Amino acid sequence: MTTCSLVRRNPIFKRAALSLIVAVIAMPLLAGGTKAASLEEIKKRGLIVATEDDYRPFEFVKDGQPTGFDNELIADLRKYAPFEIKQQILPWTGILAGVSTGKYDVAITAAIITKERKQSLDFTSPIADATHYYVKRKDDKSISSIKDLNGKVVGVQAGSALLARLPELGAMLEKEGGKMGKVVEYTSYPEAYQDLALGRVDYVVNTIINLQTLVAEKPAVFELGQAVSGKSFPAWAVAKGNTELSEFLNGFIAKEKENGRFAELQKKWFGEAFPNLPVSFEPEF
Amino acid sequence: MSGGDVLAILQGAVVTVTLSLTGILIGMPIGLALAVLRWADVPVLARIVTVYVSMLRATPLVTLLLLLFFALPNVGIAIGPVSAAILALVMNTAAFNCEVWRASLMNFPKDQYEAAQSVGMGAGLRFRRIVLPQIARVSLPGLVNEMSMLIKVTPVLAVVGVVDITRAAVRIGAETYDPLPPFLIAVALYAPIVFVLVSLQRWIERRQIMAEAAA
Repeated sequence: MTTCSLVRRNPIFKRAALSLIVAVIAMPLLAGGTKAASLEEIKKRGLIVATEDDYRPFEFVKDGQPTGFDNELIADLRKYAPFEIKQQILPWTGILAGVSTGKYDVAITAAIITKERKQSLDFTSPIADATHYYVKRKDDKSISSIKDLNGKVVGVQAGSALLARLPELGAMLEKEGGKMGKVVEYTSYPEAYQDLALGRVDYVVNTIINLQTLVAEKPAVFELGQAVSGKSFPAWAVAKGNTELSEFLNGFIAKEKENGRFAELQKKWFGEAFPNLPVSFEPEF
Repeated sequence: MSGGDVLAILQGAVVTVTLSLTGILIGMPIGLALAVLRWADVPVLARIVTVYVSMLRATPLVTLLLLLFFALPNVGIAIGPVSAAILALVMNTAAFNCEVWRASLMNFPKDQYEAAQSVGMGAGLRFRRIVLPQIARVSLPGLVNEMSMLIKVTPVLAVVGVVDITRAAVRIGAETYDPLPPFLIAVALYAPIVFVLVSLQRWIERRQIMAEAAA
């Protein structure tokens, strides 16, 4: 029988290590084999849509039912599209990876358009104006403007555009002679808000829309600060090069804008309409 | 928190129990089969099992799940979130169960096996009548331990969109911005699930002791 002390001398141990290395090398090859489904294929098998489950007000779950801005648009899309819509609901972590590997055709969520993401994904027309703001504890009197954020601990979502654009805030602080404090990354925002309320972080950076909803819901705990980034737009994401699908979705968005439904839903979920959204957006960051 | 929210967490509990039970029921016999292959030192297969067990024990469940979920469609195998979750659970727990079974197989008294051989029992009958009842008893605490670990590892299945107890609670917290009440309910639900499992183990052990006393 093989015992622990034998494992080191055992060639099987070497073989296991070898097969691991092979697996690691093979992975990019497997991933390279993906291709996005054409509109023709989608018409046959249906459109596979991925949405998030904890990103209020864009998408969240209430009483077990998906709701929010994007979910209402999906309901409209079901009527507009001449094919079936299959919706998958999952956490943010797997969504963009799933779209770029072809597991899902489109991420109908508020994915902020960034330079880095544009390397592996294409984006539809922006669905909102999402300049980044910060939120703080209402009872924290030490923060009243951007320069007070000097050295304070910030909470932000891991792998998010908000994290990628924190250097912009860093530049603002340096101009005032300050610097960024420690950055704490969370898998999703509810945890970040909870830590802010508990005092483990001093402020949290997210889009104005998300933060307005948060502050409206918990006005006694949180208070909205100022903008910490330039223009930023969220949009839906499809696989790189799937122009057929992004054009189809842009057609849907244009129609919803035209008939006033887009503004109506923006007002309902974000508290304001954004009539001057660009049709396409080229990110600087 | 509304009544609908409590219902959503209870639905999550059904998912947690169903998936972990499926994982246990498929993974445990596979683990036994793997252990027997190694114990009997079947050429080639025994070595493959050794490699499999050491690799699977070194791979975090969440990483394995993401790999299966995103890589399998690339080689032409369509896999849904639930099937990917069950596959990952089974692959993981089979490796750990294999080691539990193997430990009791290694300690199995060889003379009993030879005695059975000498009275002319076939290999299958020998295993079923003589070996299995005894190793099952010795393995039980280790197996139940692994089962309760499996139940508590189910929240990682959420990465591919499976809504278990914890994910249902996270969703409610994201909607109400008040995560503590749903988490309290979630914690309160895991305890009875694991308790049922442990009670089952105690009941089996008690029955064995009684059977021995009667013999």
